[in-house]
Amino acid sequence: MMNGGDEVNALVIDLGSSTAKAGYAGDDTPKCYFPSFVGNLPAQAGAGTKGEVKREADANGADHARLLVGNNAVDLARDYMEVQPVVRHGAHEDWGRVEAVLEHIFRDHLNVNPAEHPILMAEPSFATDKARERMVELLFEKHSPPALFLGKNAMLTSFAVGRQTSLVVDAGHEATVVAAVHDGYVLKKSIVQSPLGGQLLTRCMKQAVLRKGVELHPQTSLRRLETVPGKLEVKFLSQPHVTDSFRQYHVEALAADIKETTCRVSDVRFSSEENANIPTVSYELPDGNEIQIGPERFGVPELLFQPSLISTFEGQAFADATKMRSLPEAVLDSINQCDVDVRRDLFSGIVLTGGSSLLVQLRERLERELSDRAPPTAKVKVTAPTNSLERRFSVWIGASILASLGSFQQMWLSKMEYDEHGAAMIHKKSP
Amino acid sequence: MSWQTYVDDHLMCELPGGGRLSAAAIVGLDGGVWAQSDNFPALSAAEADAIVKGFDDQGTLAQNGLKVGGIKYMVIAGEEGAVIRGRKTPAGGCVFKKTNTAMLAGIYIEGVQPGDVNMVVENLGDYLIGQNI
Repeated sequence: MMNGGDEVNALVIDLGSSTAKAGYAGDDTPKCYFPSFVGNLPAQAGAGTKGEVKREADANGADHARLLVGNNAVDLARDYMEVQPVVRHGAHEDWGRVEAVLEHIFRDHLNVNPAEHPILMAEPSFATDKARERMVELLFEKHSPPALFLGKNAMLTSFAVGRQTSLVVDAGHEATVVAAVHDGYVLKKSIVQSPLGGQLLTRCMKQAVLRKGVELHPQTSLRRLETVPGKLEVKFLSQPHVTDSFRQYHVEALAADIKETTCRVSDVRFSSEENANIPTVSYELPDGNEIQIGPERFGVPELLFQPSLISTFEGQAFADATKMRSLPEAVLDSINQCDVDVRRDLFSGIVLTGGSSLLVQLRERLERELSDRAPPTAKVKVTAPTNSLERRFSVWIGASILASLGSFQQMWLSKMEYDEHGAAMIHKKSP
Repeated sequence: MSWQTYVDDHLMCELPGGGRLSAAAIVGLDGGVWAQSDNFPALSAAEADAIVKGFDDQGTLAQNGLKVGGIKYMVIAGEEGAVIRGRKTPAGGCVFKKTNTAMLAGIYIEGVQPGDVNMVVENLGDYLIGQNI
């Protein structure tokens, strides 16, 4: 019922927990990507700005909050603006924010009328039935695309790396999700989630820096002025009305940058005490201070392999510390939940992806630890897409490939089928 | 309508995207076959039992393997308590839909859209549930 693969210009959208990505099927990379956060401005009068979506007033007419979306939305210090995540624990808790993001994508970035393009949405491999139906409803009711498909993240990553069967280790922002893909389908019962994600590592790095007695002042809280020719002086802005959520977002963004530039994964098990005197690297903060990062360089990523180290970072208590499986443990759990016949293929087809996989030496360490713990007959091989964009966007790229395949065109859920059978149809069409 | 007619006309029918199921059956939750297409593989008592239990515990079924007439399928995303879906390499799979007193089984090989298979089997299942069967 659909045209051949060449004529369909499907839209591909991946709303991740850290970054939202969108673009056209067939492209190498998404046309736009921006942080998965909205700036929530309370009721204000005034003309709209680019990136702003007016939220409908509720029954009392009381809520006139404006949701700002996009790269610049959360970077400008606006009074009273709360910075709120679009995705939490893998789910969309506030569908108003999801709508705001979608509108921003269609209207401000891609400049398309969604009613003219089939839409392929990526979704977490563990998405619940209800959440999937809600997304289908939201898309069809508000935007009326001619057709829709929901693709599970692990399946899409597997496509992106050209494998039909693989064990996808997605080291993401909120969590690391391990899922087995067999013959192009996610084995639902193999999914293992661990809260050891980029966000946790960032928070630990923040703790480690604060522990040194250094204060983290993000770029948004200061100005560097040339008071005397050739000399830059830092002036801290008085921002009495800037919200805590805004400050915290930017302090964490700064800690994330420190993490991304200085951290490496140790080749072997790392102990911060034993290595207290290793050579440090310096990092210049926005306020001009230079800090020295020593054992934390390796100590923070070491959490991925020794989650019990979390207790050494104050303020990061977890209600259920037993849920924190190290990366190798999560991989082994996942494989052991699969049928014995596929396990060998999974061991030799482990694909490491996700933003946090960009940590230097992560792939090598994971392969080494798994080889030690896997059954002796299993050959362990961990591959990772070569360039950083491919790792951060592997889900989007896989979706772009999938949506352009001629053989995929029969798999869409059409608007007609939705109108006739309802949102529950999605479970039959994209299991 | 006899159960055989259900199988012949409503499960083994031509699918919207083309092609047909390769085999189908209606099996009571006790393992007894009510009706089946000619080439439906013989379900052993153990296999049927595992599937019936598997509707509610898809994890165990996934670990031990979903077997139908000796052929193993990998368990992919189903619906708790209602639908079990399996895939086989290189192409093909199976769908089991639970009704009040029976389960519908559809087996397919290549050349057929899995979505169509799901639709045909599950829609008939929903109809039978509505008829209190």
